[in-house]
Amino acid sequence: MDIQSILQALEDTTVAARIRESGSIFPNLESVHVIGIALVFGTIAVVDLRLLGIASHRRSALRLIQELLPYTWVAFAACVVTGLLMFASNATTYAQNSVFWWKMGLLLLAGLNMAIFHLGAYRRIDEWDTILPPPGQARVAGFCSLALWACVIGLGRWIGFV
Amino acid sequence: MSSELIIAWIYASPLSTAIRDMFWVVPTVQSVHIVAIAVIFGAAVISDLRLAGVFATDEPMGGVVRRYYPWMRAALIVLLLSGLVMVIGEPDRVLVNTTFWLKMFLVVAVFTLTWLVRRPLLRTVDPASSDDEKPPIRVLAWLSIVLWCVVIFCGRWIAY
Repeated sequence: MDIQSILQALEDTTVAARIRESGSIFPNLESVHVIGIALVFGTIAVVDLRLLGIASHRRSALRLIQELLPYTWVAFAACVVTGLLMFASNATTYAQNSVFWWKMGLLLLAGLNMAIFHLGAYRRIDEWDTILPPPGQARVAGFCSLALWACVIGLGRWIGFV
Repeated sequence: MSSELIIAWIYASPLSTAIRDMFWVVPTVQSVHIVAIAVIFGAAVISDLRLAGVFATDEPMGGVVRRYYPWMRAALIVLLLSGLVMVIGEPDRVLVNTTFWLKMFLVVAVFTLTWLVRRPLLRTVDPASSDDEKPPIRVLAWLSIVLWCVVIFCGRWIAY
């Protein structure tokens, strides 16, 4: 089974057809997607700014990350679910949209940036937990994360304009 | 002057024409709008959850509110300006849209609520001041989170 027929099969599912035919499901999915984006970017930005050396509501970087990350993940999960449903409703069209793939690529890079941080500076966080500004490696991770997520949002908006 | 004349006048203005003619303006301004939504909503949820007594309860309420309120105010200005660009670009579609006016009403309501709840906390710099969440504050904090969600829904529905 080639990719094209998989996409077609996805588009032919009952769920995808329901979304396409209903006038209200798609805008509601978009709204939940935006609320999810706002929480993902909102909470991640607080951590990223702390990594850049801008003080947050608490001194400890570790506790800040541990306290905000659950919100980030729940919101990200909501974005993935609503995103998948919107994609399914017009899978073959989205698959031809280059901006969509740029967005997916940058999402991957944002994940990679997070992984590098967790395997690097985060492992030594007890050395810089309450120090402002944090070490260079953490600041680079914070800056890249802010830039990548802002671009993901921008590209997401551009999908509908090409 | 009737509203149709005002809309026609905005539509015919050089600024409105320029916004429509440059294809990149609307998606770029909308992207800025969403980033600002993330800032205002993120800051609102974090500080409202503190006010509701479910987040960072070991940190003083005043400190959390004072940390996030300036970001909410700055994001609101960015949202109003980027929103204004979208209104000027398509006044014939936006200004006759009921959902748009409902959204504007809710934005005024929720930001007034935000300000009223935070004002006493923004004033006191005394960290030892009584800091426990009183029941009305908790309810108002949850109400504000719900209202922001409704505002986001309205914003997306304006396009339909």
